[in-house]
Amino acid sequence: MLNKLKYSVSALLLSSFMLSGAYAADVKSIAILTPEEGTDYGWNQQGVEAAKAAAKATGVEVILAQGLGYGDVRPTLRELAEEGASLLIAHASGYNTSAPEIAKELNVPVAIVDTPDALTKGLIADYTLSGHEGAYLAGRLAAKMTRTKAVGIVVSGEPPSWNSQSAAFAEGVKAENPEVKITYAVIGPAAYSDAAGGKRVTESVIASGADIIFGQGNGSSFGMLQAVETTKATDGGKVYFIDVIGNKSPIDKGFLLSSVVWDITPVYTAMINDLKADTFGTKSYAIGVKDDSVKLLKTPAIPDNVWSEVQAVRDDIVSGKIKVEPIFEATAVRKLMTNVAE
Amino acid sequence: MTGLFDEVFLAALLFGAVTAAVPLLLAGLGEQMSEKAGVLNIGIEGMMILGAYLGFLGAYYSGSLWLGFLAGALGGMAVAAVMALLCVRLGLNQIVIGIALTLGLEGLTALLHHFQFSRSYPRLPAADKTAIPLLADIPVLGPALFQHHLVVYFAVALVFVMIYIYRRTQLGLNLQAAGDKPAALDVAGIDVIRTRTIAVLTTGALAGLGGAYLANVGAGIFIPFITNGAGFLGIVLAMLARGRPLWVLFGALLFGVCLSLTTAMQVAGINMPTDIIQMLPFLAVMIMLVLFGRKASLPAALGMPYERGAR
Repeated sequence: MLNKLKYSVSALLLSSFMLSGAYAADVKSIAILTPEEGTDYGWNQQGVEAAKAAAKATGVEVILAQGLGYGDVRPTLRELAEEGASLLIAHASGYNTSAPEIAKELNVPVAIVDTPDALTKGLIADYTLSGHEGAYLAGRLAAKMTRTKAVGIVVSGEPPSWNSQSAAFAEGVKAENPEVKITYAVIGPAAYSDAAGGKRVTESVIASGADIIFGQGNGSSFGMLQAVETTKATDGGKVYFIDVIGNKSPIDKGFLLSSVVWDITPVYTAMINDLKADTFGTKSYAIGVKDDSVKLLKTPAIPDNVWSEVQAVRDDIVSGKIKVEPIFEATAVRKLMTNVAE
Repeated sequence: MTGLFDEVFLAALLFGAVTAAVPLLLAGLGEQMSEKAGVLNIGIEGMMILGAYLGFLGAYYSGSLWLGFLAGALGGMAVAAVMALLCVRLGLNQIVIGIALTLGLEGLTALLHHFQFSRSYPRLPAADKTAIPLLADIPVLGPALFQHHLVVYFAVALVFVMIYIYRRTQLGLNLQAAGDKPAALDVAGIDVIRTRTIAVLTTGALAGLGGAYLANVGAGIFIPFITNGAGFLGIVLAMLARGRPLWVLFGALLFGVCLSLTTAMQVAGINMPTDIIQMLPFLAVMIMLVLFGRKASLPAALGMPYERGAR
């Protein structure tokens, strides 16, 4: 009886060891699913490029599933899992329901966004990222550059990562110049591809006096950009645009003031390493100005002296002299906006 | 900072309301004609997205917005021709075909955009506006309502053309009969299939034009999924308006005004969840049209394919 028990325990330990070893060795490919093509100079492109870079850095293959829209991606998730992807990165807040379902159904690890509570060891990781430190810098920049002493924030939805940037931008503006007014407008509950809505709302915000627009919008940000390019500020001058996540410089017509650029590569790399180390789904991931995974884009529209001042603020954030806390809740953001818009 | 009741801001809000309403108006008028003839045209979103894509393509390469609008309308008609073939001629399920067309064309246009424009994202210059003499000089209302692209005036005029057609012409009677009692129309010697085909093709042209307006004037750019459900809103407007073109105009304008109102409320800093604020356009349109449009009824043969002699 004792021998049988010894054999059983040994077999159990041995199989556990073999399984964990096999699990680590099995990370051969990852897949990323994006709602729009990875060529949008924004969220989708940064995700796709980061997935490629992380895969290259860790020696795994990457499967790209782009332009899937905002509907049901369960069939695609199943297909990618059947193709043998060891990790499915569901790169849209709209996939937060379907991806965990498929993870549980097929026992394949998934990474989702904007759902920190969903962490499940070995199965579900969340990467609710925030470029709030960069957005704070953008706010400081905007407050220095505005002529009309009014800036606008236009967003196509209120996911946590955008909320934190909206709030940080507002805080940056107020820290730089409390006299500057801030206008906040959401195009729609999930108007990520509503370019016409982006243009319409941005034109109204410009008409309310804003001469700098901080825009967060995926596809709809092209409508915001179009509004900035075709509408004059109330003082008759040029309106500038501050983008987020990507770098639209290659398609800029001289209206891009800056962008809060994200590099998600360290996050995906850490995820793959966590998979290999069997620690996937046990922690959250972050980006920030310290390692340049969040940085403010320098464009010719920013005078050198202003840029130097903004960089000094960045150094203060890195050193801890200035603390920028993320605010993820939409209600908290709106309260902040109400206060600053008065 | 400009005040909320500043002339420039109010004019911008109202101008935006009209711009947002026009694609819905065109789509709604088109859908209304299909429904009158008994065809539930769920594929209108697909017609709009192809119209938006081809409209942008035409305007971008020719440099003429008018050629863009023409291309958009023809694109919408091409989709409608497929719909007419499958649903009117062959009698396939209108809902299934409509959804399939929409999904397929969303994917197709996204793919084409990817190959052509996904690295350059070209934008069109601001559309020319035509000011209506005297009216355009009225404070706030002038720049908001009477300084638009000619397509806007065309869309509004179309409402009255539709009213005339439905009330005063043989075609209007034929359309009504094709939707209510197609067998009776057939007995009277009028080709039901032909009548319904005309209705569906007209729907395609109007939806395509609406899509082209959305891309060329509303956004100044084409991006995948740009219609963002505008076609489905057109269906809702047409169904709630129940055969009355003026109610489609009213519903579309109400929707546009409410959209602008949501922006105004946010700009004013009203501390209310934006989800609630943004329900306003949908709620307002539904309430108004249900209250005032409930007496009218939908065609009896709506959604049913016509087959001569079938019982």
